[in-house]
Amino acid sequence: MNQPASLPLVASLLDAPLPASGVAWLDTVRRENRESFAAGGLPDTRVEAWKYTPLRALGQRQFASGDAAAGVRVVDPSTLALPGVDGPRLVFVNGVFRADLSALDRLPAGLTLQPLSQALEGDAQPLRFALSRHYREVGDAFARINAASAVDGVVLRVAAGTQLDVPVQLVFVGAAAEADLAWHARNVIELGEGAGLTLIEQHTANGELAHLATLVSDIEVREGARLRHVVLQGAAIGASLIRRSSLRLHARTRASLHVLELGGALVRHDIQAELTGDDARLDTRGVFMPHGRQHIDTQLAIRHQALNTVSSSNWRGVANDRARGVFRGAIVVAPGADGSDASLSNKNLLLSPGAEIDTKPELEIYADEVKAAHGATVGQLDERALFYLRSRGIALAQARALLTAAFCRAMLDDLPNEALREHLAALLIAHLPA
Amino acid sequence: MSSTSTETKATRRDNAEVVEALGRSYAAGFVTDIETDYLPPGLSEDIVRQLSALKREPSWMTEWRLGAYRHWLTMPKPDWAKLKIDPIDYQAISYYAAPKAKPKSLAEVDPALLETYEKLGIPLHERAALAGVAVDAVFDSVSVGTTFRKQLAEAGVLFCSMSEAIREYPELVQKYLGSVVPTGDNFFAALNSAVFSDGSFVFIPKGVRCPMELSTYFRINAQNTGQFERTLIVAEEGSHVSYLEGCTAPKRDENQLHAAVVELVALEKAQIKYSTVQNWYPGDENGVGGIYNFVTKRGDCRGDDSKISWTQVETGSAITWKYPSVILRGDRSVGEFHSVALTHHFQQADTGTKMIHLGKDTKSKIVAKGISAGRSSNSYRGLVKMGKGAEGARNYTQCDSLLIGKRCGAHTFPYMEVKNPSAIVEHEATTSKISDDQMFYCRSRGIREEDAVSMIVDGFCKQVFKELPMEFAVEAKKLLEVSLEGAVG
Repeated sequence: MNQPASLPLVASLLDAPLPASGVAWLDTVRRENRESFAAGGLPDTRVEAWKYTPLRALGQRQFASGDAAAGVRVVDPSTLALPGVDGPRLVFVNGVFRADLSALDRLPAGLTLQPLSQALEGDAQPLRFALSRHYREVGDAFARINAASAVDGVVLRVAAGTQLDVPVQLVFVGAAAEADLAWHARNVIELGEGAGLTLIEQHTANGELAHLATLVSDIEVREGARLRHVVLQGAAIGASLIRRSSLRLHARTRASLHVLELGGALVRHDIQAELTGDDARLDTRGVFMPHGRQHIDTQLAIRHQALNTVSSSNWRGVANDRARGVFRGAIVVAPGADGSDASLSNKNLLLSPGAEIDTKPELEIYADEVKAAHGATVGQLDERALFYLRSRGIALAQARALLTAAFCRAMLDDLPNEALREHLAALLIAHLPA
Repeated sequence: MSSTSTETKATRRDNAEVVEALGRSYAAGFVTDIETDYLPPGLSEDIVRQLSALKREPSWMTEWRLGAYRHWLTMPKPDWAKLKIDPIDYQAISYYAAPKAKPKSLAEVDPALLETYEKLGIPLHERAALAGVAVDAVFDSVSVGTTFRKQLAEAGVLFCSMSEAIREYPELVQKYLGSVVPTGDNFFAALNSAVFSDGSFVFIPKGVRCPMELSTYFRINAQNTGQFERTLIVAEEGSHVSYLEGCTAPKRDENQLHAAVVELVALEKAQIKYSTVQNWYPGDENGVGGIYNFVTKRGDCRGDDSKISWTQVETGSAITWKYPSVILRGDRSVGEFHSVALTHHFQQADTGTKMIHLGKDTKSKIVAKGISAGRSSNSYRGLVKMGKGAEGARNYTQCDSLLIGKRCGAHTFPYMEVKNPSAIVEHEATTSKISDDQMFYCRSRGIREEDAVSMIVDGFCKQVFKELPMEFAVEAKKLLEVSLEGAVG
């Protein structure tokens, strides 16, 4: 199924020396993942998970590994600020931790927040479970190279019973460099029993660049914990960004995920959520707005494995110009997961003759005491709504903008942080075609 | 219809009694003891040549088959469907089996054969006149008789077996065969192209409304054979035809292979309605035996304002792999797919449709109902594609799954690919079980549990059944009841 490992991309990523951690098990895991990446190469579009995201062009490119100058690249700290977000902050520039841009003093009690590079210098053992993963699926190329090559990222723990009242902000900055770079980051996040956390993940650009970044996050939400995760993806317009977030939700957890996909040339996000404990609940909301020649692919997979678990997913896509939006929303209800309630909706607007939307909602149901429904649409704005607005003297272009904005904005409505919500809504509107 | 349907109903009722008498299990599972000609098991260029020679085919047909066979050798077996399939030994299958006696007309057909069809409720005699349906009966590899030839010929309609068509109407066959499903389309279509033995050929000339429903009844009888039939229906400008297809096979412990190809061509303003009640032997309650059903069905709305509609009721087969599709090429053409797929015990079905919108203002509608019981697996897999030129095209898809029991699976895999900003695609799917409330309501009114289930299932499928011709709808309803036997309690 795979293309030969002689692709320029594969060769250039394998060119970088294998990082040495001094921790035997980690070095072994890295080596093995690197070997499986070298053997497997890149998936082509015959691999189901990559059916709508061809990697032909990316496969022909070459990237320099890591950024030696990442520590001194000038980044204006004001570009990192977000309204309503004023708490601990961890900043990475081209994948390298930047203490000078981060805010790690006065960490609230119960919060452990440090770069992976530092955590590994201390006791690496608590990270062993998360970092020992092998990626065996045929489409897992980028997770493999990430597991082999990532030397930094976030280690975040919230102690059992701790409710953090300030959000934690993680910022990944892509900064222009002398060459196109490849960098990899690995996050390990854990909420203890009954803990509460709001996590803001931000991807921003500093200058024009065409880097390749991979990001793998493991998020463990222990019994009764509550996670609010907001992702603002505003990577550089030329950047390739490939992320995978794995969530495990234990009993009685509540997790919400709000995602805004705005930037990047080739963007892929795999969200794999497992509802492993009874009464766990996951809500996901997202908007992807590719324009120009952007390609944005979201692959959401939710697995109900326990009793009375609930998932509700609502995603909107708007594709303009010659852009392509891809969405897959797969829900699996495992045998015995009685009382599961799963719903998924993906609505899309196609604004231009050169644009394309590919959507694939899936249901795999193995239990009978369940409620499961999904819906997907691709189309245009409601003619009657447009007519209504025009009959009230609003110009066509403005009426379109208004309705498109409302179409996307609805995904943010249940975000409790008002200042952040308004900021994100303003970003959405600014992103709409004029 | 009113006066003629009485007779048909009576036949169906007789049939239903047979069903009841057999303990309401698979009623069509008997074997007809009849002398049969076989080709030796195995597949090679020689076998393909022998098959072609046996059928006295012209050399272009032999070459066509060989081309398909050579292509098939290079193709990988598809593995993307949600099906667990034991490896198939293509060399163990006999690719041709035919009753020894070659009848010249229906009157000369072996009485044992006629009896078979009678038992199955398929009238081949003149008595069939009352039923008002013209039938082409395919027994193992060959067509044993086509009724109503004369009346159809008067209307200008050609309805005969494919073998006959290749000999009698080579120019039509050459023009259309493989034009919708090319020989190398997929693994099973390529295999079929190489070894297909018979099937039906229908040609409706310009402006003709076919005076009666056409029907083909497929019966696998012989052991260790596969059935590979090929059906081609061409509806010329402004014509109209409704076609029914039924199938059964004896109960056997080993799996038998059925790989058919159906091609439909609708020219300008033509309409083709294709209905299937698929009741191949599904295997027993332990998953032993049953037919492997790998079918490629595709319609091509070649002309503007044409319409192709697929209706299927799938209750049989151990494995079903089937995606009747429509290519909406002509402007304003319409494609429809109505489906009920029921799986029980260890049956597996991966079925759905493809609607490929190429022309302007094309419309498609998909209604798929899946019912899973026992330890079966039932998947809907569909594709709706709006090409760049599909200005103003419209699709609506509804997929509902009903689960009966805790050990079955119901899955939905719809693909939507949209490249035109004025097209509209809508997809909705739900999965549920028969609710306790519904059951309680029925039970409290004195309705037996099994009757209540079959009532609820019937209601669940109504939207599809109403698309079937009346006699088929009655049969489909009965089939569901029989197939669900033992699903509850």
